[in-house]
Amino acid sequence: MAIGTDRYASRADTLLFLACVGLSIAALSLPDQWRDPLAQGLRQSVLAPFLFLQRQTEMLAAARYRYDDVVAQRDSVALAATFLPELRSENARLRSLLGLGQRLGSGYVPAEILHQPEPTNPLSFVVSAGKKEGVRQLSAVVSPEGLVGLVASVDEHTSVVLSWAHPEFRASAIATDGSVVGIAAPHGAEGPKVWLLELQGVLYRTRVPNGTVIVTSGLGGVFPRGIPIGTVIDTAAQVQGWGRTYLLRPAIHPAELSHVMILTTPRPAGSDLRNAFTVPQDSLPPGEPPR
Amino acid sequence: MRRSDRYRYPIIMTVLVLLQFTLRSHLGGDRVAPDFLLLALLIYTIRAEPGKSAAAGFMIGLLRDAMTVVSFGAGALAHTIVGFASSWAKAVFFAEHVFVKGCLFFAGTWLRNFIILAVSGKLQGSQVAWELLVWSPLQGLTTALVGVVVLWFFRGWLSPRRPGALGMPA
Repeated sequence: MAIGTDRYASRADTLLFLACVGLSIAALSLPDQWRDPLAQGLRQSVLAPFLFLQRQTEMLAAARYRYDDVVAQRDSVALAATFLPELRSENARLRSLLGLGQRLGSGYVPAEILHQPEPTNPLSFVVSAGKKEGVRQLSAVVSPEGLVGLVASVDEHTSVVLSWAHPEFRASAIATDGSVVGIAAPHGAEGPKVWLLELQGVLYRTRVPNGTVIVTSGLGGVFPRGIPIGTVIDTAAQVQGWGRTYLLRPAIHPAELSHVMILTTPRPAGSDLRNAFTVPQDSLPPGEPPR
Repeated sequence: MRRSDRYRYPIIMTVLVLLQFTLRSHLGGDRVAPDFLLLALLIYTIRAEPGKSAAAGFMIGLLRDAMTVVSFGAGALAHTIVGFASSWAKAVFFAEHVFVKGCLFFAGTWLRNFIILAVSGKLQGSQVAWELLVWSPLQGLTTALVGVVVLWFFRGWLSPRRPGALGMPA
């Protein structure tokens, strides 16, 4: 210890240091059968509380991470659950569309409605079927519930559909029993009854009870006979001339749809599609016999 | 030793030891995170005599070896040398500047890692170079940084009072 050890460290310090170094070298040269029990003994005695502390800290951190994962999974499930009714509804609609396809037999093209965010979307919308799929202008567009509209223009793979809510829409209509004949048209573009249809030109002497199901008459050659248009719910406010006007609750609102069917092949004269559609069961008021 | 040091000094040492087993694993990679246990030893060596520092280093090193039995005894030897050298160097230079203490923490960390690598002989070639030139300096840096913060924060509690330094009577 020539470098001033006596000045900066006492002889006892030096001896203690040398002893520690010697013990360290001895530890280094310990055989495995001695070293492992010694290390194990230290871990299970002096180090035990510290290792326990470290383990608890790690568990705490892991629990925090797991909590975040659980929260994320719960949020994902909650988000998925919000879409569940919509998926069920769409599934049911597709199933009913398949049922309609079986009942119609042939001469139709299924198409998806390409909804747009504009507020006028229910009046006129684009569907994913066009000329290539056999769609022609003025083809009838239907859903399992009834009439949706007609094809206004046709592109290669898309078509523009004019729904019954469009102000220019008209369809020749008739009651299911043939007792009432008129023209179905949108009721108007203002007021609370904006999304209703009206049956115009009904003979003044003819009374149409509420709940009467109105279908297409087949006159004019655009719509086949028997497609449900709506159900009579009231008389319109004004009675014009020698005719009466009735309010109809539409069979289906265009905004509710995601898929439609376009009737591509002209139906033979006299054919009636009434049985192909789902006529609402509550169309007649309670106590009133079906017509 | 001041009367109040009887409580304050062990508290700081205990806090550093607890930080080693609780906080350290959350401060980044194991090779970069500050070594609170070594820092406690180095802070202890600032005040203690070289012999006691060497003994404390031996104890800490032996306990650390028990947790990593790859080279049992290497840690004890490294911490013994670092403890003694740190205490001796502090007595030689006796600088109270915080930067000098930071350098002491940095050098102590790097020297400890160097001795362990040299004695254990488990790493070779580029691994040793990476450890000594990249990871050890980074760990020394973080340890020194934490050490400086601790010294500054507890500067009233950790001011050196070592009788006998520079040959002064105890």
